[in-house]
Amino acid sequence: MSEFDSDSIIDDIIRKGQKIADEVEVAYESGKSIHATLKGREIGEAGVSDSWVFCIRIIDGGKIGCSTTNDPTRWEKCLDAAKAGSKFAAGQDWEGLPGPSATNGTPESVFDEKLVLDSSLISGYIEDLLNGASEYSVDVAGGGASASASSYKLANSAGLIYEGSRTRIGVSLETISGTSTGYESDIVCFADRINPYDVGKQAAYLAAHSVGAGEIDTGTYDVVLSPIAASQLIGGIVVPALSGKNVKAGRSYFADKLGEQCLDESFTLRDDPFHGQGSWVRDAEGVPTRVLDLIKDGVVNEFSYDLKTAYRYGEKSTGSAVRSGDSPSIGFHNLYFEGERQDIFDEKVLYVHDVIGAHTANGITGDFSVETSNSTWREGGEDTDAVRAAMLSGNVFEMLKSIAGVSKEPRELGNVIMPSVRFNNLRVVGK
Amino acid sequence: MEEPRYYDIRHVSGVSTHIDVENGRIDSAGSSFYDVALLRVLGKKGWGLVIIENFSGKTKKDIEGFIREAMRYASVTEEEVILGDAPSGLLDVPKTENNPADVSLEEKCDLLRAIESSARIDGIVSTRAGYVEGSSTVYFTDSCGNEYSYPVCRSGYGINAIAGRNGNMQAARESERTIAGLNMYHKEHKGLEAAERALKLLDATPAKGGIMNAVLDQELAGVFAHEAVGHASEGDLVKEGVSVLKGCIGEKIGDSALSVTDDPTLHEFGFMPLDAEGVKPKKTAIIKNGVLNSYIHNRQTLALIGDGDAGHARAEGGAVPQVRMSNTFIENGDSTYDEIVAECRNGVLLKGSRGGQVDPGRGVFQFNAEYGYVIENGELAGMIRDVSLSGDILKTMHNIVLCGNDLRLNQGYCGKGGQSVPVTDGSPHVLLRDAVVGGQGV
Repeated sequence: MSEFDSDSIIDDIIRKGQKIADEVEVAYESGKSIHATLKGREIGEAGVSDSWVFCIRIIDGGKIGCSTTNDPTRWEKCLDAAKAGSKFAAGQDWEGLPGPSATNGTPESVFDEKLVLDSSLISGYIEDLLNGASEYSVDVAGGGASASASSYKLANSAGLIYEGSRTRIGVSLETISGTSTGYESDIVCFADRINPYDVGKQAAYLAAHSVGAGEIDTGTYDVVLSPIAASQLIGGIVVPALSGKNVKAGRSYFADKLGEQCLDESFTLRDDPFHGQGSWVRDAEGVPTRVLDLIKDGVVNEFSYDLKTAYRYGEKSTGSAVRSGDSPSIGFHNLYFEGERQDIFDEKVLYVHDVIGAHTANGITGDFSVETSNSTWREGGEDTDAVRAAMLSGNVFEMLKSIAGVSKEPRELGNVIMPSVRFNNLRVVGK
Repeated sequence: MEEPRYYDIRHVSGVSTHIDVENGRIDSAGSSFYDVALLRVLGKKGWGLVIIENFSGKTKKDIEGFIREAMRYASVTEEEVILGDAPSGLLDVPKTENNPADVSLEEKCDLLRAIESSARIDGIVSTRAGYVEGSSTVYFTDSCGNEYSYPVCRSGYGINAIAGRNGNMQAARESERTIAGLNMYHKEHKGLEAAERALKLLDATPAKGGIMNAVLDQELAGVFAHEAVGHASEGDLVKEGVSVLKGCIGEKIGDSALSVTDDPTLHEFGFMPLDAEGVKPKKTAIIKNGVLNSYIHNRQTLALIGDGDAGHARAEGGAVPQVRMSNTFIENGDSTYDEIVAECRNGVLLKGSRGGQVDPGRGVFQFNAEYGYVIENGELAGMIRDVSLSGDILKTMHNIVLCGNDLRLNQGYCGKGGQSVPVTDGSPHVLLRDAVVGGQGV
């Protein structure tokens, strides 16, 4: 653990920061994580990490500067760097950092007090993964298990102090049989919610089922995207288009569509900061979070804002600031995708478990072409013949105008809660 | 307490600087500081690891404590790790002109703004430019008595332009990264190039998917060299059985026109003066005239697999070394660009890259071109957009039937195992028969 008094350093930063700028903010994150990595069926490496980082942000005359350091003795240099950066940033209207205030709800706990970060914990998870994989005749290529506990503290010159802790446990396994591969993973906050055996079994099933997979002719087909495939395509394209920053900068499909019914009327996309692994009562700038109905019944209902974007464009922060180690940016907390829940596997469909290349989609237009992984024909709820290779092409925004239904049970993929989604008449290029 | 069979420490410290310009205004600019090390020990079986924040100033006693902690984690490992012999050593780091660290933040802001403003022409609705600079000192030591230190500064800029008309929006990007010093002087034309291409894309038609002949430009063919060939030749993937190139050394796996090289000694963006295990890097010929010649390795995979060279271990600061590429490219052939397009007859020319991804175990790749042109009767016809390419690695390597004589390199970053490292890839123009081209045009 850290060998310094972080509270004292935070106080010093705020005290000195107020002398050189209008406002100052410090975010301090620290944590311990352990992991073990499989090389084939054997643990090849295991390790531990203690980490911490100070992120300093100052606002001076509407100009914002940021700097980070993991050296507690260099906080003054870090503060100076934030000040130097602010000199070059464009000035803007700035109405102040948030002070202490009421919040909008009670978030789910994301901290497992019983979690003990010990190497035996993760080696036990590894054993369970391998036992699960033994249900099918496949080779294990790799995988791993990790567990972490972290804490955060946000303090600013407006008098706000916000702190909390969270725990995370993750497992994954990759399998292969011939040239058929399978991958499965899970991530949770509580030890009693992880099931490495099932993760290993599913990874093995995917590789085993794809052995001897057949071809598919080029054409249009009814397709169901698994929660993994759907989150890659929908989450990667639709969510950035709802960021207020992208909207105001003129690079969002939804920029001129606020209030318009432009997606399927059953489609709702909601950010709920109180339910899920990404629960926060305040965002990364200290603004109280709230539920955002980004898309409601197919209507573009609201966009997400952080303080900087909101002040700049005369909007209100939606408490959507997130932080990944440095300065805050617009993100989401727990993203729920909802549609008309029904039995979407009654009729024969091409079920796509995963896609490769989703990040190469055109984020502005929504056009994409991806290669499918572990796709299979599914009929009456059962997997039938696997499909070896297929390229899926389309436009995400056009697809979401006509959703043929979503599965009854969604899956939690970290802080994205996504069902399987059925689309009729998608273009598939065979080999 | 049991003593480690081996240990090493890789310490990376330095300053990162960024500038973001959006629609004519500096959105943010500034510097941050990092200082982190990874200590690895080899216990009775496998690796024990400790990541150490703020390593500078740690004493010998501190390090002994970290070694003991790492050994506790090594005790749960099961894989018998043997390290292959590989020559240790440090390559000379080229001297840089216009060292970015010596240029003021104000001047860098002005240079980036000039590039960004040149993209703001009629029809462009949004622009964004970014500059990133990482100025690091890397220190390596191990229990064999090796000790090295070198400075490296990687920097570069990118400019995105978005054109809009009647609800249609199209984007284009230009970027350049380097280890040779600040590269933003007199680069206003790059902003203009991005803007003009974004405008042209408004009139381009969606690509029509199907199986057809394709000419790949230097950038996209370079992505193929990296994604499809390079990753599949990484010794860790071969060792773990998730590469279609496993067991193929000496086999004819591609057309005789195809030779692929990974060269970490080139003074390009993927240059490595020392690999992450202290091995002196060397050029590796992966494919020679269609025959699989070598894998790329770290010391562990070299000992287990053989058939190749160590010196290809790479890592972010404080992260575990992985077998990675550096500067990967398809070697020049003897065809001209005009000959390749003429030989294509009917098909597509695919240009630029929005990135790619590969499943080396299944032998499948996918990547997107930024744009392209239809080829009719051996000549370029209309411009197309949103066109992608996928296929089987082995089949595709046999179907690359012509390589041009116009090799060009492009810089970027490669993601693997949660780490991102700087790389270069490249190629001459190539002709690919029976390519699987994706697109939603009809």
